Amino acid sequence: MHEMSLASALMEEIDRISRQNNILRIDEVELRIGVLKQVVPQVMEEAFRAVSLGTLAEGAILRQVEIGARALCEDCGMEFVPAPDDFLCPVCGKFSRNLLEGDEILLGSLTCVT
Amino acid sequence: MKINVVKNVLQANDIVAAKNRQVFQEAGVLAVNLISSPGSGKTTLLEKTIPALADQGPSIVIVGDLQTTRDAERVADSAFQVTQINTGMSCHLYANQIAESLPGLELAQAYFLFIENVGNLVCPGEFDLGENLKVILLSIPEGDDKVAKYPTVFRAADMVLLTKIDLLGAFSYDLARVENDLRKLNPTAPLVPFSATTGQGMGEWLGWLAEQRKTKVGAQARFIHE
Ligand SMILES: Nc1nc2c(ncn2[C@@H]2O[C@H](COP(=O)(O)OP(=O)(O)O)[C@@H](O)[C@H]2O)c(=O)[nH]1
Ligand SMILES: [Mg+2]
Ligand SMILES: [Zn+2]
Repeated sequence: MHEMSLASALMEEIDRISRQNNILRIDEVELRIGVLKQVVPQVMEEAFRAVSLGTLAEGAILRQVEIGARALCEDCGMEFVPAPDDFLCPVCGKFSRNLLEGDEILLGSLTCVT
Repeated sequence: MKINVVKNVLQANDIVAAKNRQVFQEAGVLAVNLISSPGSGKTTLLEKTIPALADQGPSIVIVGDLQTTRDAERVADSAFQVTQINTGMSCHLYANQIAESLPGLELAQAYFLFIENVGNLVCPGEFDLGENLKVILLSIPEGDDKVAKYPTVFRAADMVLLTKIDLLGAFSYDLARVENDLRKLNPTAPLVPFSATTGQGMGEWLGWLAEQRKTKVGAQARFIHE
């Protein structure tokens, strides 16, 4: 359900960059999303389609690149893959706040006509 | 042409949130973002909490509501100031909406600022408002499986209030499961069984708020304004 909120934030960022760069049309938007964001690609696709209607990005391809989750155990130094609902180190069982990646949502690039 | 951007989509919100946080700090007020599903007891918690905090200091409330002013009216008598943000179709508050409502508030006169977010356990977790603390309310009727289902907000929580604990007997509910699920995501947030009806957990909640105010805002900040 939060795809709509995220797509709106994405669209605002695209607008800002379009103005800065005098973009006339956008053909492709690359979005990099950490798995921990629990975004459903099809839902994101629909949300993007909705928020981009009537904008320079209407009809653009939304290329979604998934970023895996990685965490480093503060206790034993083990690098592991946390699950969205489980951040315990599989080796020592300690909780790790040391998330290396997997929680981000980044506008990667815009393919466009200026 | 390809323009490489690589920018956090939520950055615009985060920048405004950081400014809000600065304003709260300078005013010496502790800002608390209340997050839960609709009906978990946020407004009821405020109705009980604000009068009980009166001997510590006044509270300001910002209510995010789809379109009614009902929640704002419920706390209007006990709060020092109340302001309502109509969120319309949006399912969460933005840092911008908070920033826009701040000029109308006498923050420096208040000890606590409570922000009742829109009823939703997902989106409010993504949008920083500049609060000092995120408090998640999870009511017993919602079931004991919700921590694992909505991990993001529970990971970000500074406190989890298990509300409507007076109804525990009416449901088949595994308290240990909630605690266990929470500790996989968040080792430090206190998990407090709470009831606005019986008062259970009220002492711990109020004590925690006082303690947090002391550590997060500091004694000196208040001194300037007195
Ligand atoms: N039994 C019981 N009911 C509660 C408690 N707290 C709130 N409620 C009821 O739950 C309903 C929704 O509460 P409300 O505060 O409006 O929830 P909000 O949508 O999160 O603001 C109301 O009918 C409250 O009376 C509680 O501790 N115990
Ligand atoms: Mg309410
Ligand atoms: Zn470890």
